[in-house]
Amino acid sequence: METERAYQATAAVPSGTAAVVMRGITKRFPGIVANDDVTFEVARGEVHALLGENGAGKTTLMNVLTGLYHPDEGEIEIGGQLIELHSPRDAIDAGIGMVHQHFRLVETLTVAENISLSLRDRPFVLSRRDAVREVQRIAEALHMPVDPEARIWQLSVGEQQRVEIMKAVRSGSQVLILDEPTAVLTPQEAQSLFETLRVMAAEGHSVIVITHKLHEVMAVSHRVTVLRGGRKIATVRTAEATVESLAAMMVGRDIELEQRQDRSSPVGEEVLRADGLTAAGDRGFDALRDVSLVVHAGEVLGVAGVAGNGQRELAEAITGLRPLAAGVVTVDGRKLGGGDPREAIAAGVAHVPEDRLHTGVAPSLSIASNVVLKSYRRGGVTRGPFLLLRRIRDRAVELIRRYDVRATSPEVPARVLSGGNLQKVVLGREFSGRPKVLVVAAPTRGLDVGAIETVHDYLREAAADGVAVLLISEDLDEVQALADRIVVMYEGAIVGERDARTATTDELGLLMAGVR
Amino acid sequence: MNDGIVVIVLAAAVAYGTPLLFAALGELLAERSGVLNLGVEGMMLVGAVMGFLCVQHVGGSAGVALPVAVLVAAVAGAGASLILAFLVITLRANQIVSGLALTIFAGAAGLSSYVGNDFNLADNPARFSFRDLDVLGLDGVPIVGPILLGQSWLVYGSWVCVVAVGLYLSRTRPGLNVRAVGENPAAADAMGIGVARYRYLHTLAGGALAGVGGACFSLALTPQWVDGLTAGAGWIAIALVIFAFWRADLCLVGAYVFGAFSALPLILQARGVTITPQLFQALPYVMTIVVLVLVSTGTARRRLGAPAALGTPYVREER
Amino acid sequence: MTRPAVRIERRLVQHRWLAVVVPLASLAVAFAAIGLVLAITGHAPWATFRRLFDAAFLADGALSNTLVSATPLAFTGLAAAVAFRMRLFNIGAEGQLYLGAIGASGIALLFAGQSSVVIVPAMIVVGAAAGAAWAAIPGVLRAFAHTNEIITSLMLNYCAALLLNYLIFDSQSYWRDDSATGQLFPQGKMLADAASWPVWTIGSIAIPFGFVVGLTVAAVVWVLYARTRFGFEAQVIADSPRAARYAGMRTRRKILAVLCLSGAVAGVGGASQMGDFRHILDARGLQQANYGYTGIVVAALARFNPFATLLVAFLLGGLENAGYTLQGADFPSGLVGVMQGLILFAMLGGELLVRYRIVIERPGRIAAAAEASA
Repeated sequence: METERAYQATAAVPSGTAAVVMRGITKRFPGIVANDDVTFEVARGEVHALLGENGAGKTTLMNVLTGLYHPDEGEIEIGGQLIELHSPRDAIDAGIGMVHQHFRLVETLTVAENISLSLRDRPFVLSRRDAVREVQRIAEALHMPVDPEARIWQLSVGEQQRVEIMKAVRSGSQVLILDEPTAVLTPQEAQSLFETLRVMAAEGHSVIVITHKLHEVMAVSHRVTVLRGGRKIATVRTAEATVESLAAMMVGRDIELEQRQDRSSPVGEEVLRADGLTAAGDRGFDALRDVSLVVHAGEVLGVAGVAGNGQRELAEAITGLRPLAAGVVTVDGRKLGGGDPREAIAAGVAHVPEDRLHTGVAPSLSIASNVVLKSYRRGGVTRGPFLLLRRIRDRAVELIRRYDVRATSPEVPARVLSGGNLQKVVLGREFSGRPKVLVVAAPTRGLDVGAIETVHDYLREAAADGVAVLLISEDLDEVQALADRIVVMYEGAIVGERDARTATTDELGLLMAGVR
Repeated sequence: MNDGIVVIVLAAAVAYGTPLLFAALGELLAERSGVLNLGVEGMMLVGAVMGFLCVQHVGGSAGVALPVAVLVAAVAGAGASLILAFLVITLRANQIVSGLALTIFAGAAGLSSYVGNDFNLADNPARFSFRDLDVLGLDGVPIVGPILLGQSWLVYGSWVCVVAVGLYLSRTRPGLNVRAVGENPAAADAMGIGVARYRYLHTLAGGALAGVGGACFSLALTPQWVDGLTAGAGWIAIALVIFAFWRADLCLVGAYVFGAFSALPLILQARGVTITPQLFQALPYVMTIVVLVLVSTGTARRRLGAPAALGTPYVREER
Repeated sequence: MTRPAVRIERRLVQHRWLAVVVPLASLAVAFAAIGLVLAITGHAPWATFRRLFDAAFLADGALSNTLVSATPLAFTGLAAAVAFRMRLFNIGAEGQLYLGAIGASGIALLFAGQSSVVIVPAMIVVGAAAGAAWAAIPGVLRAFAHTNEIITSLMLNYCAALLLNYLIFDSQSYWRDDSATGQLFPQGKMLADAASWPVWTIGSIAIPFGFVVGLTVAAVVWVLYARTRFGFEAQVIADSPRAARYAGMRTRRKILAVLCLSGAVAGVGGASQMGDFRHILDARGLQQANYGYTGIVVAALARFNPFATLLVAFLLGGLENAGYTLQGADFPSGLVGVMQGLILFAMLGGELLVRYRIVIERPGRIAAAAEASA
């Protein structure tokens, strides 16, 4: 925490004509009001943070500004002029550029081609040489090295983000919006990004950073606007705010930032053992390189690291979703052949996947169907080949009650549930199988503070019940709060192991960046 | 030498392959924008019947009637594809079912047959048809003569189209844009590229080329109108695009390979050679399956393969 | 300041009545369009419709003939429904039907001396097996080599047609009629009388055994998908293959199984063609009939529901029957295809309105809203 405070923006808030004013914006979707009469303005040369939990409406608001969504009510002023944005084209023409959380890059094309796509001056015939030179020019100006001829699918996530930023700059954006930009960066890379943003602001650009990370807000912004439940709560100068005051506004009540809890029950026998796991990633090269770890009953082993260093592949390897090129996973003495999810499930491995909506549940099927997604094979809900629909419904009702899932009925499709409720369904389902090992990947990504607390409680409860918990998360705070031991992954290998009680954020951050 | 079987087969391959080539180029453009057009067969038949109708009724010499007929065929094909485009792009209907519906609507038991019978088009052969040219009088040149220099205007036109489509996709801005639309329409949309507009234009272009392909049958190859004249050429064109790894130049190669396999059995039969024709006829289809399998495996898919968004409708505000 | 914009937006609430009103409205639109086409080309719309309806359902023997047309469509429709519900686009019902016909006629010829009780079930079983085997090719390629089943099944349709041609026209195969006339005019061997499938008569309507088999298949398919573990897994795989894999489901086996099931149903359709109607391996006739492709239209119109498929097969069968019967100088041929196409277009287009709504924006609206909230 000390390093972040040292970088806190000390510059005064720039004054002058507002670059962007959004007034009275309201946007509705089926079943939810995503933005409720929100008014938001950004000055020229300012870095303005848009803070809120997931579901607060930040991304929606920015999608309105970039012409992707059309507001049901409200108006927008850019550079003092009232303007109607009917499409992303209009927004780009008006000088708004956005770097999304999920990159809008065409994978099979090269960097230069992707940047060409966003250009406003359009010669009919393409010149490859000109495009390449163009890319090099921008890259130098922003101090971001990138190979113009590389195809996007060959680049790392951090490099892809650079391409996105270059795209926005090249298309002449005066206003640059970044959506959770540091989610895929190491702490050190994040600092360098903040530097870039400050440089851009100093040159007169307006930068809007959408984030839910409090220390980011403190580190880089001049002002911060807090959204909650679709409404704007307040806009304050960053210099006058504290982490605690912002958190209170975000959540609506005073909360204490999560503290470590001391272990309540002793750690038991070794339950999960991974020896020398090596597995290929989706891009051809090895994503896991000789990874070994051990988790005991009742213990929480935290796997920290910036997303994209093999964590997803590790979870998949242990739960059988990814075949192993080498190495063995042993659960309670039983060796798993690997590459077979059913085998892992049968061995008592429960899995709360990273992508809860598209992997953890079948989104269009009912909650009831999803509750028995794994257990339909066992007795209790089937008679021979036939499903006992009444009994399945009962199970679902029971789960909804026990885990306090906010849903109108067990028959609604899973995809209408909010992130937190969906995660509760997945967790509840995984727990109900009485697992020996619980592998959770990014369990609180995209959840609001209340849901995060609930999930953390369940994880602690699982550990107290004697389950071996493997917690894989890019949120260092979460790992430090919950884990007993922490290992750090970098480029597919485990680069360090620490006792959670004594490890410091700086130490872990350095390991995450590959520094030993 | 020019009477040798190889030369005859190759010359016939070019002639038979030309309608396939036109249709494949059209399908290529549509698929590059992300629209899987399964209505090609119907569009070819509509083009064939309208082109034929035009040539029977338009006044003037061959030099006037034939180009006009080809134009009409193109417009007819485009018109048919407009239905598909509207269904699939604006109304977000399932592309596969819509394409099949169009083929049924326009095809051998549908609109083309309707028009053909209403105007009694089967009664007479075409008043004019595309004849083989004798370019520069070099028809007698060994090998090259009959194959390359003795073909009709339609063939030469198809070569121009191959070059045009190939350059368009690789060297022009709209070509780059359409490639983006086919791979990642959300990305293209976010960059201000009109996804719907590109899909419409390329589907229409695809329909127009398919129409011209159909006209190759009714104005050159058979020059007559028969119900269901194209006999599945449209489906082969769809396979051709895959066979050609979605590249215009390989479409040319593929079309002539398929053309050769269609022509070979007839030529052999004329020579009195009896090899089971079905074996040859089946080869193109089997080869397409093999190519498709190869193209579908893992990393190959990214380098060689289909536009990633092929077959899926694009809706901007999907949550 | 700008012209009104028209947008398509996801509906906030999906009303129940939409699911009924929209298909009916689509049908009405379709018929209006058909009427327009008829009028433009100089045929009287109402009179034509009345003649069609009459020939399809009301005239003497019309219902029996309609069932004849409807039976193959029921099978290929069910075949398509089985596969498409799992997002497996099996376009190969055409070829799978041919293979079923080849298999069924083959076994019928082999068992020529046996009684019906032996031959008929044998034809069904072998027909199903042959269709399933042919569908297994795209099935294996899709399940294990990730190869798109649309193109592979389509290519195999052509191969199946070539096989038919080979057996009847270009070889001295077991199926080919080896009599003297058979040498001059190639055709298949006639099947024994015992190989004719039974027909039940209710009043004046002749119900082919095949149609009854089709009913049974529809019921089995419905139960399979709605009430069994097989169906549950199919639902999950169709919705999210990743979730299915995560849950430990054997996705690849399921894909293969469903495609084989689809092929088997089409194969029984082929057997029915042999046993119920043609009694001879009629290569040309089968290829001209296009049952496979029409079956997909049937399934699409029925939204892939097994019982609705039967109903739609019956209706489209009526249309086809009327088309044959009325063919002649003053009845436009090709009308059947046009009608089918237009109905399908209207249905496909109408489906949009169930899930989305059209919003037309007037320029003054936003400014007015801003004033109201200020």
